[in-house]
Amino acid sequence: MKLKKFLKFRVLFLLFWIIISIIAINPSFNTNGVAIKGIEQNSTALSAGMIFDSSTTLTNLEKITAINGKEINDLDDYSKLINNINNSEVLRIQTNKKEYVMLKTDNLGIVVGEASSSNLRKGLDLQGGTRVVLESDTKLTDQETTDIIRTISSRLNVYGLSDIKIKQSKDLFGNSFIIAEVAGASKEEVKDLISSQGKFEAKIGGETVFTGGKKDITFVCRDDGVCSGVRQCNQAEDGGYQCRFEFAIKLSPEAAKKHAQITGELDTNISSGSLGGYLSKPLDLYLDDNLVDSLQISSNLKGLETTDISISGPGFGTTRNDAVKDANKNMNKLQTVLITGSLPVKLNIVKLDAVSPALGKAFANNAVMVILAAIVAVAIVIFIRYRDLKISIPVILISSSEILIILGIAALIKYNLDLAAIAGILAAVGTGVDDQIVIADEISSGKKEHVTSFKEKIKRAFFVIMVAWATGVASMIPLFWAGAGLFTGFALTTIIGICIGVFITRPAFASIVESLEES
Amino acid sequence: MGKFEEFYEKNYKKLIIISYAILLISLILIGIHFARTGEFFNRDISLKGGISVTLYNEKISFDELEGLLKQNFKDYDLRELKDFSTNTNVGFIIEVADITEPQLREVLRDKFDINFDNKNVYDPGLTNSSFGESFYRGLLIAVLFSFIFMSIVVFISFRTFIPSIAVISAALIDIIAALAVINLLEIKLSAAGIISFLLIIGYSIDTDILLTTRMLKRHDAPLLERLKASMKTGLTMTFAAIAALTAGYLIAIPEELKQMFLIIIIALIFDIFSTYLGNAGILIHYCKKKNIT
Repeated sequence: MKLKKFLKFRVLFLLFWIIISIIAINPSFNTNGVAIKGIEQNSTALSAGMIFDSSTTLTNLEKITAINGKEINDLDDYSKLINNINNSEVLRIQTNKKEYVMLKTDNLGIVVGEASSSNLRKGLDLQGGTRVVLESDTKLTDQETTDIIRTISSRLNVYGLSDIKIKQSKDLFGNSFIIAEVAGASKEEVKDLISSQGKFEAKIGGETVFTGGKKDITFVCRDDGVCSGVRQCNQAEDGGYQCRFEFAIKLSPEAAKKHAQITGELDTNISSGSLGGYLSKPLDLYLDDNLVDSLQISSNLKGLETTDISISGPGFGTTRNDAVKDANKNMNKLQTVLITGSLPVKLNIVKLDAVSPALGKAFANNAVMVILAAIVAVAIVIFIRYRDLKISIPVILISSSEILIILGIAALIKYNLDLAAIAGILAAVGTGVDDQIVIADEISSGKKEHVTSFKEKIKRAFFVIMVAWATGVASMIPLFWAGAGLFTGFALTTIIGICIGVFITRPAFASIVESLEES
Repeated sequence: MGKFEEFYEKNYKKLIIISYAILLISLILIGIHFARTGEFFNRDISLKGGISVTLYNEKISFDELEGLLKQNFKDYDLRELKDFSTNTNVGFIIEVADITEPQLREVLRDKFDINFDNKNVYDPGLTNSSFGESFYRGLLIAVLFSFIFMSIVVFISFRTFIPSIAVISAALIDIIAALAVINLLEIKLSAAGIISFLLIIGYSIDTDILLTTRMLKRHDAPLLERLKASMKTGLTMTFAAIAALTAGYLIAIPEELKQMFLIIIIALIFDIFSTYLGNAGILIHYCKKKNIT
């Protein structure tokens, strides 16, 4: 009688985990609307009260369902509607939580994405995006690493990319790397944003007046046509176009003082003709030691503690349109580094991969098919061998529940499922099936002999299973140190998978098969 | 005594020899490969550094592009990129080792009209060669440690020297033989490919553990009958795994997954020999000496 209770407990334990997993994955069939995946700093949307909480699960993200009374079903609807509304018009954005009202600007600062149908997070190769592995020439201190990770994530955030994962990893040889994974972004953007040190310096005659970052710069104007934008474009002699961008910043009082002190020592150059003339030396803007622009300083600013400064720079292109685009891109980059400051050291890109969103989607669908096909193949082999539905059906059910629980745990720990994880899941399910075959054979062989007790049979089977489990885990452990940290996810899924198998699903399988055989 | 038992009784020594002959031949094949190329196996750019470019252009012909790459680069790889819904060719994935992106650009520019600035047409990725090299060495060390850890677990579990060595050498045969076949098939191993060797280490010895446990720790039937029963179970396990992986291999689109599946399938096929010829033979011999019946 005691044994019977124990059996029941094992099956109940499995059911408990299945329920936990379904709750964690939270499959939802209502995917109307677009999910808000980020709100940019200093943006129109933020001022209108929109907040992004990165700790929410995917299915609980706030969703935009209508704009100005028109229903939004997908990303297409959203971008069409937004693009058809002129600047300064009123926008009423209805979400599943509340309504926000704002005036339309060039960039609202809302990062949107497809509404998720579950809490499963797809890794880069299953949804598209870019992965960069960075290494520094010098050994990094922990403080430097923390600063780098913070600066890079805030740069990407300021730029409008929110779906990012940045981590540090070390390899067996003591090299340390920074791995940044950015979903939905192209290589060029990511490369530009995170590989450049972003050391911004404004100098007059070689002397630094102010640098990028919060210490010297208290405000940077962006996404506001009044104080930032591409101002003028001209055709150059060679037929190409050049445009200039301009945006306003505010200096801290200290930086303003320094500006006053340095300009106070300069001469006024009257001969330059314009009203009042310019100072003898220009304000040179450097980004990573390259001169971006040289600005003449109006002579009336001499010795003045001004906090309002206008920053400008060029953009080039073969057509006017290209030049405007280039100027906008340069402006965006400069604004970003002025807000976030520079990285403490220069970083080199040692590995750069990207998967296009279309390919990622195809891979994700394919991964589902691969797993289904594997289960069907196993089912066929099991049926041919046993010709007994009492064994074949439990094997399939247990294997499927194993996959479900692995996915459930992945959703719980917010782990990004990638291709390597799919391989890990298959491997775990493979060992799972192996162990079930061992159990099934042990039970049916014992049936013939009638000598050994059920407990004894299970104990025998479990010695084999435990040794196989231990070797499986042991063989994955080295991956936590090797491979620049790129395979820790794979190792983790495989280990979680085989642990679930040994401690949750297989005991239940043994009980189910035994009670089926008895009846 | 049935035919099965008779066969094993008579031939178990020969079976051991066959299984180790597989190891020897594989080692010779790998040695030849090493003598020819200076490497134990071919690596792709993820393990040696180089560039990988996705070129979206359905008009360029495969042969023409292949010819151009052959003319200019020693170590390259060219694959077609398909649109999976329509199964038509939409472009190519070009991988070239040990060159920089502008070098490839120059070669392509001469022959084809490509808009290099549009990432929707020309999408380059890179692996720095010194990073690729240390990445590669790191993964090899991981495989080595994985093997050592597995061996320790096996020794702790069985606590007898010869049977433990038999299990461990069966895993070694699987790995070395799979590698030899990979070389014969002229496959360039990727990082994912090396990872699949870790899976082989953890995966292929399941059947060996089962066999050793049944033969050494059970006494419910005569030795060779226990071998037969364990073989029935073990072969079901291996065939189920091979079936699952083959289905996966046929359906999978991503190259990384395909390569992983293929390597494990090859290793599992060898595992049948290493387990039921080599390991079984050694165990029969060991049991006879120790009077285990």
